[in-house]
Amino acid sequence: MKLNLTIRQGILLLLIVFGLIIGGVTFFTVRYFWALDVEKEYLDDRDDLVILASQIETSLDRGDEDPFRFVEATALIQAKDENFSYLLRDSTGIVVSPPFMAGKEIPIKHFEARSKDGLAGMAKVWGYDCFVIFYPLSHHPYELVAVYGYDYVFGDEAETLRIFTFQILAIFLVVALLTWFWLAPVLESSFARRQRAEDELRVAHELQLKAVTHDFVEDPQFDIHAELRAMKDVGGDIYLGGRMGNKLFFAIGDVSDKGTAAAFMMFMISSVIRSRIQGGTPLDEMMGEVSQLICDNPDYEMFCTLFMGFFNPETLEMEYCNAGHTRTLVDGEFLDQDPQLIAGIAPGYVYHTQKVRLRHGTRLLLYTDGVTEARSEDRSFFGEARLQEWMKQRPAEASCKEDCDALLEELTSFRGKAKQNDDIAIMCIKIK
Amino acid sequence: MKTTITEKEGIITIAVSGELDTDTTLAFRNEVEPVMQRKNVNVELDFSELEYISSKALRVLISLQQQVIAGGGTLKVTNVQPAVQEVFDMTGLTASLIKD
Repeated sequence: MKLNLTIRQGILLLLIVFGLIIGGVTFFTVRYFWALDVEKEYLDDRDDLVILASQIETSLDRGDEDPFRFVEATALIQAKDENFSYLLRDSTGIVVSPPFMAGKEIPIKHFEARSKDGLAGMAKVWGYDCFVIFYPLSHHPYELVAVYGYDYVFGDEAETLRIFTFQILAIFLVVALLTWFWLAPVLESSFARRQRAEDELRVAHELQLKAVTHDFVEDPQFDIHAELRAMKDVGGDIYLGGRMGNKLFFAIGDVSDKGTAAAFMMFMISSVIRSRIQGGTPLDEMMGEVSQLICDNPDYEMFCTLFMGFFNPETLEMEYCNAGHTRTLVDGEFLDQDPQLIAGIAPGYVYHTQKVRLRHGTRLLLYTDGVTEARSEDRSFFGEARLQEWMKQRPAEASCKEDCDALLEELTSFRGKAKQNDDIAIMCIKIK
Repeated sequence: MKTTITEKEGIITIAVSGELDTDTTLAFRNEVEPVMQRKNVNVELDFSELEYISSKALRVLISLQQQVIAGGGTLKVTNVQPAVQEVFDMTGLTASLIKD
């Protein structure tokens, strides 16, 4: 079950839980120490009680001040038996038992001693066993009682405990008020900010995903597949691929920045390529336009490595244009790519295309530097040589999707416990 | 990543060692920025001990070069190791950034 709470509701819930815990802990602490004290007193005074009970009458007859400072209370005798029940009231008529005990009867569990008119025994007061001493007044036998343990805890120690309890409650109240009126608004605004930032990143991430091709259609003349492993903070890897008339168009690139701006730039690049490709713009011109697009936004300090190509299945000819991108592997060998400037640095830079003839069964591997610059736990790079070796060992009958998956797996095992440090884009093409 | 800045006969040499990756590039930029902001400076980036350069760092190099040129100066990279040279070659930046 997932709770969808607002910050205020969350805080309220926390305060309630916190308050209950504080209240509970305080309550039980008070009771625990009281019980300890009572028990200690009980053990100390057990024998004295017998004497005490017998002394009561004598003491009162002499008119002495009560030597034990007992709280006086009226006791309502329910039955003249050992299972007497009493209501505790002090002599002024105020109920001295805790509020929730008011009007409740306290059954006497057993009597430790009984003199002519006085009783000393055990009773449960406030949930704990206490000594109760009942002794009669001369004018009304069985009316006044002393509650020994009860008096004890509501003496000086009780006062300390009560102050302690109030202090705890006061602190809690201050914390609660501060939380509600100061912390909650701060949290709310920072949460809102974070939410906005997350929304932006999410939109950017979606843009990146929308900018790449997803639906690689099965084609009788070629097989094509690509995979993207984007980092959470939105990177700028991009690829496009699919049939354009009688040719296969493909492109892979890497925008040199991360974040929302990079994702938007990538989306624009993708849009430019998509629309120009429909209009039949040559590769070199298209590359120039992409470069110009980035140059027009110098504030972002971005650039883009990009490799685009057309493959004609009829003539087996591949035309390609490279702007500073990683070296494409063709059947395990690196493609001859002229070192042309990365797109987006020099306005007006003129790109040119190159051509190569492929064979049936040729496999192409295009990738971004997230592949070759993937790092293992000991900080070594995956590197071109390893990639080349990997490609040479791939079975010829494997599909492009299988190749992509296998390479991703290879990279994961190479990295080991090291984290992915860059976007990874892989594109495999196989000429049927 | 470590930078050492020395000035001799009107040429400011900034030796960069270690790696210029995504994490260290920002620090690199902050360290060299004061030099780049000066007018008519001739800066040489000595990469003899630089082992790796990321694409983000390349972009920063280009920005710094543009900044220096706008101030009437020059910025070139020297003593590039093969692994880093490969990156410059691949990205077509050798001609504009590396000193002959």
